[in-house]
Amino acid sequence: MRRRDVLLAGLCLPFLAACGRDEDAVRVDLSRREEPVLRQPPRAVTYAYLPQYAHTVSYERHRLLLDYIGRATGIPLRQVFPDTFEEHVRMVERGEIDISFSNPFAYIRMAASGARAFARIIEPSGKPDFRSQIICRRDNKELKTLADCRGKRWMAVDPSSAGGYIYALGEFYDNGIRRSDFAEISFAPGPGGKQEKVVLAVFAGACDIGSVRDGTLEILRGRIDLSQIRILAESKSYPGWVYGARAGFSPEIVEKIARAMFALRYDRPDDAAILSAAGMRGIIPAVDADYDSVRRLAEKLGLDALPGGEE
Amino acid sequence: MIPRLSALSFRTKINCGIVLIVGLIAIPLAYLTWRAAAESLQTETRKRGLVLSENLAMRVSDAMLSMDLLRMKNMVDELKKVDDISYAFILDRQGSVLVHTFSGGFPVELAEVNAPDGPKPHIRLLDTGRELIDDFAAPVTIVGTPFGTARIGLSRTKAEAAADRLALMIVFYSAAAMVAALAPSTLFARRVTERINRLKRHAEEVVRGNLDPRAGPDAARACSVMLDCDKTRCPAYGDNRRRCWLTASPDQRGEGPESCRDCPVYREQKGDEIQDLAETFDVMAVSLKTHLDELRRAERVLSRQERLLRTILDATPDLVCLVDENARYLAVNRAFANFLGQTSEAIVGASDREVYPEDEGEAMHEENRRVLAAGRPSDREVRLRRGGSPVWFHVVRVPVVDGSGRVIGLLRTARDVTQLKQFQEQLIQSQKMESLGKLAGGVAHEINTPLGVILGYSQLLQEDVPGGSQIQADLQTIEKQAKVCRKIVADLLGFSRQAESAKIEMCFNNSLMEAITLVRHALSLEKVVIATDLDERMPIIYGDPEKLKQVWINLLSNASDALEGRGGTLLVRSRLFAHEQKVTAWFADDGPGISPDNVGRIFDPFFTTKPVGQGTGLGLSVSFGIIKDHGGSIRVETPAPEGFFDALDDPGNDRPGTVFVVDLPLDHEETIGGGLPANATEA
Repeated sequence: MRRRDVLLAGLCLPFLAACGRDEDAVRVDLSRREEPVLRQPPRAVTYAYLPQYAHTVSYERHRLLLDYIGRATGIPLRQVFPDTFEEHVRMVERGEIDISFSNPFAYIRMAASGARAFARIIEPSGKPDFRSQIICRRDNKELKTLADCRGKRWMAVDPSSAGGYIYALGEFYDNGIRRSDFAEISFAPGPGGKQEKVVLAVFAGACDIGSVRDGTLEILRGRIDLSQIRILAESKSYPGWVYGARAGFSPEIVEKIARAMFALRYDRPDDAAILSAAGMRGIIPAVDADYDSVRRLAEKLGLDALPGGEE
Repeated sequence: MIPRLSALSFRTKINCGIVLIVGLIAIPLAYLTWRAAAESLQTETRKRGLVLSENLAMRVSDAMLSMDLLRMKNMVDELKKVDDISYAFILDRQGSVLVHTFSGGFPVELAEVNAPDGPKPHIRLLDTGRELIDDFAAPVTIVGTPFGTARIGLSRTKAEAAADRLALMIVFYSAAAMVAALAPSTLFARRVTERINRLKRHAEEVVRGNLDPRAGPDAARACSVMLDCDKTRCPAYGDNRRRCWLTASPDQRGEGPESCRDCPVYREQKGDEIQDLAETFDVMAVSLKTHLDELRRAERVLSRQERLLRTILDATPDLVCLVDENARYLAVNRAFANFLGQTSEAIVGASDREVYPEDEGEAMHEENRRVLAAGRPSDREVRLRRGGSPVWFHVVRVPVVDGSGRVIGLLRTARDVTQLKQFQEQLIQSQKMESLGKLAGGVAHEINTPLGVILGYSQLLQEDVPGGSQIQADLQTIEKQAKVCRKIVADLLGFSRQAESAKIEMCFNNSLMEAITLVRHALSLEKVVIATDLDERMPIIYGDPEKLKQVWINLLSNASDALEGRGGTLLVRSRLFAHEQKVTAWFADDGPGISPDNVGRIFDPFFTTKPVGQGTGLGLSVSFGIIKDHGGSIRVETPAPEGFFDALDDPGNDRPGTVFVVDLPLDHEETIGGGLPANATEA
């Protein structure tokens, strides 16, 4: 009898051990419903960074600068995130972006709609201008000069990207290479992070050559083996990124913001943190005429005729 | 009513066992698997939920920055397409719902019930009343800044339903396995049961006494063929019906099956346990049959011997019985049972006190006790009463001892010696009579002379007295009585063989007829008719005519006396039996016969049933002596044989009658009478 009890207990043990629930459920009534109403954000000066990177990167870069400007001027600023260059331009034209931080080519398109430059940055290189880099894989033996790019597959950042496409295109143009000379010209897919995508495409061998603005490779340092990337050529330098205020935006506010920007000094650690995060060394005053060289390049390449930078 | 387990059929037991085994394996397995799967699925669900929610939080950050509601909506809607995802929605940093997958409005309570645990996602189990949902809240963080929350609800009920399906599947497959196992188990059980039933039928046949059927199968080849064995005297030689390791002689198979393990015959013919049992059973049946046959033979011999013994015991007229140490009967023979007028079965177990009359039984019992106690045989004559007459027995008691010499009973033999006793008495009487005869002879011889003188003188005196005078009459009386006396004396002398016998050849019939003629007239006065039936062959014998005539007259007057004066018929018949060299005469009367008590004594001298003064009791005795003297015999038959008087015209009355039969030898060849055919000796 005793042995039988033990046997029975042994048989039942796994069942007993497996019984019971280890947590309590919170009772929720899903029947009470209402349609949510989205809260309107408070009024603020809208600030946008031409989406050459992912929104989060854009946010990360300019978050401190916006905080600084807000603190320095007392004017509330809100960063907005257009998905494409084209949308950025259109938003400036529509007045949805008050302060635009864009590349020179985008600027000349926005300037055509009345936007006016009021500041430009000193590039991380320490110069107020930048260039396009034409890159290929280090192990690509066929590519030694620009002329070798004929018949190759080229991936650029965006049709409206200055450093990522147009400057490089100008460089090819100057070297007698036309777009039709390439086997294929493709653009980095998807929104944001396009410069990096081009580097990754070259690295992966998805294309033979790529064009990015200078400084892009540094962003990817540590994520890919940069030694596998070779810079085949660089374009001429053009003025760097520019801050422009939309047409009709209050000059006083622009003035306040510009002053706060100009006050940043890279040799001050706090300012340096802000400037470094934004990928610049400083902000200096600018006028529309600084970008005439860019306008000329656009004309040379016949880009004006195509609104939206689609060539 | 549930049948007892032991009463269930073997097949049912096997099937129940299979079902029980599969059940005992499958049910806990299914349960444990279900639990494990449920837990594993739950864990996996949590992991997946975390991944999905964190992934959503990450993917949604760009769209959130640009407030791209469409992209966000697409993201949550894509998630909703997954089966077990109940819902997905995104809250901004103020907790406002940006997009959600619910239709018909957002459940207000849901937004508040779960929130990220700082930078980490948080899981909370929700009970909606209809199902359990694991709610995952992952923070949407951009550069360390919380921008909102991504929320996903995974239905635990649906995950558990998958586990349930798994358990159900296990149960289903277990049931299928059970059914699949039942088929071969049923076949197997049927095979086993059939073989057991065959054995059972075989056993029943054996119980009924039929030992010939066999339960085991035949082998293809006998061991002697396989091993090329020439031991023809071995019981297993050439026998493919039984296994040699069971039947072979001990020197052939050694220690039995154990030592046969490596033998090719054993390896080829060895079956499973049931076949072993059946084969052993066959051998047992054969062995049993052999033993039974031996037993029957022994029984027949024993029974025959018993029958012989019983016949001997029953045939013997002695009363034989075996008595145990408590003086109770163990066995009795038929004569004993007949004597007591009881059956043997009734006597066995009883004691002398119970089967004999009180006084006799006690004496017998005491004697038994003495013999049992003393251990020595006893031998004595006892007198018992049976049917009013005394019976004498010579009883011998012999003690019966066992191997250790202890007396365990006694054998008692009782022989009826009544007749012997009577013979003894007769012998004494005869000796007495012989002495008396000699004495009487002497006396008669002495008396004869004076009697002659008396007779002579009385006759002389008659001549001297005038005729017709009183004196002459008195003298005649003296003469007459003297003649009577001379007759008595002559009888006495004849009895005592003192008279001379003068034998001549004589005609037997004439002798008879002379006697008949002499008495016929006298007897007719007593209404006695004498009928004769004499052999026509006129047998001649060698004898004393006078003495024989005296015998015939004695027998005729004796017969006449038997009729007691009431008249009747006497039949005298004579027959010659030539081949037996004898002639026989019958003297029959149809009187009342002789009582059985007197039959044995009628030839005794001086035995008479007549009143005193009417007979001397010497007639038959003298006749006996005369016939004996002639080398013949005389005997009496009473009542007369059936149909003896049928030859008469008037068979007379119904009285039993008495016949005296006298046989006389034909001493001489010539007395037979020449020329008579041998086959004419019978009348």
